[in-house]
Amino acid sequence: MASNADFKDRQFLAVIGDEDSVTGLLLAGIGHITAGADAQKNFLVVDNKTETAAIESAFESFTERKDIGIVLINQHVADRIRHRVDTYTAAFPTVLEIPSKDHPYDPEKDSVLRRVRRLFGE
Amino acid sequence: MEQQHIDSLLERYLNLIDEYSRLREELSKLQAGVFQNIARANFTGERGMRYGQNHYDERMRALRVLDITPGEDDVPIFNIKSLNSPVDDEGRKEDEKREDSSDGDKADTTATQENSEVNPEDEQSPEDQGEDKEKEEKIKTKKATNNPLRWFGILAPAPLRTAQTLSIQAVEQVIPRLISVNAEMEHVEIEIRRARKKRAKAAAAAVAEKEAAGMEAVEAR
Repeated sequence: MASNADFKDRQFLAVIGDEDSVTGLLLAGIGHITAGADAQKNFLVVDNKTETAAIESAFESFTERKDIGIVLINQHVADRIRHRVDTYTAAFPTVLEIPSKDHPYDPEKDSVLRRVRRLFGE
Repeated sequence: MEQQHIDSLLERYLNLIDEYSRLREELSKLQAGVFQNIARANFTGERGMRYGQNHYDERMRALRVLDITPGEDDVPIFNIKSLNSPVDDEGRKEDEKREDSSDGDKADTTATQENSEVNPEDEQSPEDQGEDKEKEEKIKTKKATNNPLRWFGILAPAPLRTAQTLSIQAVEQVIPRLISVNAEMEHVEIEIRRARKKRAKAAAAAVAEKEAAGMEAVEAR
């Protein structure tokens, strides 16, 4: 299991999603932009024009940052970088796929429930 | 013996799956409410005002942060801490305070009331009380100016406030619990696999022992 040192500085939640998902979560006060010249955001708004490479790079950056404990990502956005999300196995930060306005939660795509099926030999 | 252990682990695992599914449902419901209310706010917005990324504050600071603690068997437990003042540039926090209520200001006053009820004998000089009040007011104004609702103007529409309440509920109560349940599920999965392996090994050893005994019996004949 992960040691205490692995998570003691992880205080932020990051989010990758469509505008309404990000707005909703930022309203709850999880948004953070670091000060200084290299200001880092902990969110990415994805729309139809957002390139897959940009999503992939944000995902990579959020999962590499040592101050992020949870990465929330819309399930339909995760589908665009499915190979990256499915091959991500680190304990921290934890990735959680969340529904969006136009794409309700699909249990078939849920990595946790897929793991459950594997355990029961399906 | 080993089978019993596996059964008890499976029972624990099934309970976790049940909780996970319930939390998933709850999260979907809360998020649907958030989207509906943002849509309502956009629909009623004056002069085509859209409540979205164009209004985000470029200097925003987190008001709700994670608090991860090691639980049983070092499985991490995730919680959300609400801060009275946002995280500063170095990532340190001032005046950290856990709040149960989604409405920060309300929680503040309740906490103060509770404190005064718990310690009725602690008498304070009028000066101290004045200082406390000043401090409290400062915190309140700080909180009000840091409220993300302010990004969208002083008078945020009611649906946007409702969206914020629902979102806070999701962030404070559902998301951290979902992640904690997931971490616990991962831990139990490892235990189940380990127990199954142990059982398979024991079964293989028993078969080998039986075979050896059979061979000995044949040889004896």
